[in-house]
Amino acid sequence: MSFSEKTNLYLPRRRFLQLSGFSSLGLLLNGCAMSLFDEQVFRATEPLNQTLEEWLLDPEKLVPEFPVSAIEPDKLLVNTFDFTPQIDPQKFRLKIDGEVARPLSLSMADLEKMPLTTMTIRHVCVEGWAAIAQWGGVKLRELAVLAQPSSKARYVYFKSADGYYESWDIASALHPQTLMAYKKNGETLPVDNGAPLRLASPIKLGYKLSKWVTQITFLSEKPKTLGYWEDQGYEWFAGI
Amino acid sequence: MTSEIPSLKAKTPLKPKQAIASKTFHWINVISLTLMMTSGLQIYNANPVFGGRGGLRIPPLFTLGGWLAGGRHWHFAAMGIFSLNLLFYGIYIVATRRWKHRFLQKNDLTVLQKSNNIKRKNYAWHRLAYTLIIPVLLLSIFTGLGMYKPAQLHWIVDFFGDWQALRIVHFMAVPIFVAFSIFHSLLALKVGGSRLVESMFFKPSSAKII
Repeated sequence: MSFSEKTNLYLPRRRFLQLSGFSSLGLLLNGCAMSLFDEQVFRATEPLNQTLEEWLLDPEKLVPEFPVSAIEPDKLLVNTFDFTPQIDPQKFRLKIDGEVARPLSLSMADLEKMPLTTMTIRHVCVEGWAAIAQWGGVKLRELAVLAQPSSKARYVYFKSADGYYESWDIASALHPQTLMAYKKNGETLPVDNGAPLRLASPIKLGYKLSKWVTQITFLSEKPKTLGYWEDQGYEWFAGI
Repeated sequence: MTSEIPSLKAKTPLKPKQAIASKTFHWINVISLTLMMTSGLQIYNANPVFGGRGGLRIPPLFTLGGWLAGGRHWHFAAMGIFSLNLLFYGIYIVATRRWKHRFLQKNDLTVLQKSNNIKRKNYAWHRLAYTLIIPVLLLSIFTGLGMYKPAQLHWIVDFFGDWQALRIVHFMAVPIFVAFSIFHSLLALKVGGSRLVESMFFKPSSAKII
């Protein structure tokens, strides 16, 4: 390589460096354009992320709970993707079906007769806020004992009265702190928080915790529509 | 910083040279931290740490991902690269004993207070900055893990008292690191000019002595 070639190579580099002297700022300015690649980035790293989340989850280990005095009633914000359904608790039925030996249709009275579990946990929203709240209800695993899902069941699908839908891995759904809740902070669950029946669990982000749940379906395959927000681009496992 | 001490015999000053490992670390750090900060600010906007839903939003110019999910994808993708890079750098400076020269030494504080030797003072300032930024970077990983898995790693949240305290400490890494970057860039320019800065980004052969 001759000297002049070297010089030619060298000059643009030097100019480039001067231009990107604040190289971070250069990247910052490109920030908007880079949003184009977020799906590729997601597809490349999500399997690893999910493996880590599944590894961190011990299906039998309890997440430590808080004392009742730690409840933060004002911090629990209400997020709804569409409308707030008004459901008559007298007419309400929770359907449990799919890969189960005994499909069920349970009334609120049926659910209230089952053992009540109360837990004070941190509810963490994907948006970044969190609130300590107390939930009371029936363990989903106790409903599973009644419905007897087959050995093929690997996923659980939740349908809500407002059209919201969610799917979970069965290990998280049968975790001892995953409840079908009908009480909040010691009182009857308010309509805005999902009355008469909603999901509550300390091991998943808030968007997994469906409100106004009307149907629970055990599935052998991962459904094509993973969940309302997942189908917009959120991660599916969402374990915390 | 130069890795060679200029010899008195040299007629022209020696080109500043950087070890390839240092340059690699520096490049990956610049890129991954920029991704972490911009995607982090995108996540911030979903529910501002200060003010919640009514809080001020970061202008889109400084955010990456377009919306909350996009910001999270970038943040979770870059966090592994950033953390592993920092880990490898840690192993590298311990294995090569570089840590002895890069971080604050006993007499640096005395130099900063009393010395009139500007060169010595500049080096002492830089070592002080390097020393202070390491715990900030480590803390941002620690608090980030706490926010990433607050149930499984609940002890991290407990360590900071509550969720809001954890969020504030995590967010503070951004203004602190931006301030560090400005200080670090200006000091590098002051100490070694564009030749030194260039040596950290490109091959030393490309640094022509004028």
